Amino acid sequence: MSKIWAKGLTIVALGIVIGLCLSTASVQADGYQNDELTIAFLPRSLGNPIFLDAFEAAQKKAYELGVRLEWVAPFDFDSDLQVEMIENLIRRKVDGIVASVNDEEQIHRVFQKAMDQGIPVATFDADSPGSGRLFYIGINNYNAGVEIGRALVDVIKNKQLEDQVLNTMIMTGYREAVNLEERIRGFLDATSHEIKLHVADVLENEDTVEKSIILLEDYLKTNPEVDVIYFVGGWPFYVTSDALPNFRQWAQEGGIAVGIDLFYDALLLQKEGLIQYLIGQDMTSMGSLGLELMVNYIRYGEVPPKVVETGLEHANESNLDRLLETHKPWLVK
Amino acid sequence: MRRFERFWSKLAKKAEIHTIRTKLILSFLVIALLPLGIMAVFAYQTYYGSLTRSVTEYSHEVVNRMARDLDDYFSDLEVLLTRDQDFYMDQLIKLVDGNDFNNRKYVFRIWEDLNNLHRVKPGLEEISLVFSNGNRLSNYGLYTLDFPSFRTQFQLNRQERGIAILGPHRKFMDRTVVTMVKPYTLATAGNAVFMTADVNLNRLATITDVRLGTSGYVFVADELGRVIYHPSDEEIGTISRFFRDDIPYGFVDGFGDHESERFFFATAHSPVTGWTVVSVAYADEIGAQIAPIQRITLVVIALILVGVVLLAVYLSHALSRPIKDLQDLTKRAANHELTVHIEPQGNDEIAMLGHSFNKMIRRIQELMDENVREQKLLRKLEMESLDNQIKPHFIYNTLDLIIGQLESNQNEQASCLIEALGSFFRLSLSKGREVVPIASEVEHVRNYLFIQQMRHGEEYQYELDIDQDILDKYIPRLLLQPLVENAIYHGILQAERKGRIFISGYQRASDGTIVFEISDDGAGIEPDALRDINEVLRGVRSLQNDKEYFGLRNVNKRAQLMFGEEYGVVLESELGQGTKAILSIKPIEEDPNV
Repeated sequence: MSKIWAKGLTIVALGIVIGLCLSTASVQADGYQNDELTIAFLPRSLGNPIFLDAFEAAQKKAYELGVRLEWVAPFDFDSDLQVEMIENLIRRKVDGIVASVNDEEQIHRVFQKAMDQGIPVATFDADSPGSGRLFYIGINNYNAGVEIGRALVDVIKNKQLEDQVLNTMIMTGYREAVNLEERIRGFLDATSHEIKLHVADVLENEDTVEKSIILLEDYLKTNPEVDVIYFVGGWPFYVTSDALPNFRQWAQEGGIAVGIDLFYDALLLQKEGLIQYLIGQDMTSMGSLGLELMVNYIRYGEVPPKVVETGLEHANESNLDRLLETHKPWLVK
Repeated sequence: MRRFERFWSKLAKKAEIHTIRTKLILSFLVIALLPLGIMAVFAYQTYYGSLTRSVTEYSHEVVNRMARDLDDYFSDLEVLLTRDQDFYMDQLIKLVDGNDFNNRKYVFRIWEDLNNLHRVKPGLEEISLVFSNGNRLSNYGLYTLDFPSFRTQFQLNRQERGIAILGPHRKFMDRTVVTMVKPYTLATAGNAVFMTADVNLNRLATITDVRLGTSGYVFVADELGRVIYHPSDEEIGTISRFFRDDIPYGFVDGFGDHESERFFFATAHSPVTGWTVVSVAYADEIGAQIAPIQRITLVVIALILVGVVLLAVYLSHALSRPIKDLQDLTKRAANHELTVHIEPQGNDEIAMLGHSFNKMIRRIQELMDENVREQKLLRKLEMESLDNQIKPHFIYNTLDLIIGQLESNQNEQASCLIEALGSFFRLSLSKGREVVPIASEVEHVRNYLFIQQMRHGEEYQYELDIDQDILDKYIPRLLLQPLVENAIYHGILQAERKGRIFISGYQRASDGTIVFEISDDGAGIEPDALRDINEVLRGVRSLQNDKEYFGLRNVNKRAQLMFGEEYGVVLESELGQGTKAILSIKPIEEDPNV
């Protein structure tokens, strides 16, 4: 009898366990039915592939946490439209907002509006320190600039060019973007006493891949004498070297290029010798950890640190092959 | 009635309607304004009809074009939403079904694709893929929607060809849109996937943007009367007040009344959307559109009226001025100012009249001069006739005869003779009258015959046979006496024998002429002499000696001056048998001295 009871209890227990499992699976398949939380992420633009790591990581984390993820942005960089979108997120009463800020001045008002309505706001990738946001997750952009500057100094010194005045072109997205400006400032601080850079031009590609490629190729066609190019972000690195003939020729003729943002296609260019040094940021953590911190704050009141640094990744000759093995191709272009 | 006539008469007099000028002005005005007025009324009716037709045709053309534009636009959208075996979408759907989030490659490509469509298609607010888990992947990114509600709406609005067009609602960017939904078919997909295209209502506003008068407008409604688009936001989503469920597509096409207002509706059906485009124009505004034309017409008529008045005044003045001048000159001429002369201008009838007037005035002047001359001649002849009668020897002889009678105590005869002589002279003078009654003239002749008979010792007899009917008519004085004198002296006394004088007077029945015949049975006249005398009397021959045939010519001339050439004296005579002097005059019925 006890065996029978024991078998019966075992079957019932298994049934309950299986039932619970099936129940959970069906709920999750229908998509966030058990949780009302909706967290909206706003990258600077949908058209910048650098945010795709963060997007995928955030989706996985959202699924894991059982929350709704909204990932909305203008396709092209557009500060006004980003602000309008945040207004609509506030109207739709999302539970939390995590944004990569396009224009710090414009964002303050709308961030304040969200916070006034009880919607916590955080930033990732591009910060807005004066906005009162809950936290910022990303790299220390100044430090990233310093790191890439130091790397360039090493490259120049190895080439024994430190005594020459080197004409330099800097390619950035927008001069209004605080994170990009910090990277430029760190870069210039790190190089100013070590090597003789003359910043001939600063090109703005409006945070778009296509325009960055056109600008780069046109610039090198008319200014092939430039010695150094500093890519504040990895916009033109999403294509193969075949799509960058002027850049390839310039690099093969001794041009020195360094940049921030590290991904598979950029590593391939570095492998070809077109880029001397890359520093990458951990976009995956920005998506994943950023969402988790926001959800924990909303659900459990866990207040995160004001700044959550996700760290830098360096790519040079010593670790290039290993990095090519660990990073996957994005195949978006 | 009389008072009105008096008033009208006064008014007409005051306005000088009786003048040619006023009549001309009124005539010109009537001639010009009558056709103008008829033309204005006709033009108004024609224009109003034309306007109504134009509005009707224009409204139908507009709504038909709008319906075609709607069809074209949504047909294009349907094409955009028709994706067969889109690799990236298929792969993404499979990943979503498997909760696989390594989807960046497909998501990014789809975002690029949707964004390109969003860019190239005007009015396309958002284009997306909707998954059954509520995720919506659009050109704005990824977000969630209420999928059960979405699916219900799709099923409610589903058309036969599988698509659905959802009515106005607000979407992600808080803009009012209509949404076309088309299922995305993937054989391996476990759950339903839809493609949606949100069209901003501004696009419908652009398609239906047309002004119909001041307040007219165009709206779009579905087959249940729900307003899809309306210029007034409050109307969107409500049931149109013009909707009727008893007519095809729910809306009147043509004139219709609603809540005591009259409208003109033009409708067109859009088969692709199932909607009806309705244009609403206020009927009174259609009429009001003619107001500017009315104003212009009135202004033109007023200008034409002013022009016509000025022209009429000018023309009437130009036409009546010569007439007025003619009238003034005629008035002056009537007041004996015959020196007036008109200066005709041009070659028209009035100028001809002017010429005729001048000619007439000249003729009158000539006639008056001639008349004066004739009167002078007549007076002269009269005076000569008178002088002839009171010849001194006639008077002396007669007075001697009277003296003789008195001396021979023939007092009674002397008294008769004196009386006859007195009467003779009194009648000769006739108070200076030019014309005397025939009775007086006969009496005068009778006195003369009596006196002469007394003087010549009754050598002749005389007889007078005057028709009584002519005695009260009138005759120039002293016409008969010279003829009687001729009969005595050239007829009776020349024959040197007793004779007889016969005087008859009568009115010829054929033409009313008064005829006196003084016949004697004296010496007569030789035929040559007779012919010669009659030729002189007819004016065929003139005389060198004024004294010749004086008495006859005097009488003949005075008769002709008074009555015309056809009157006067004619002699008939036969030598040895006697002579007859025939005097014919025109009868004078009234005393011209009165």
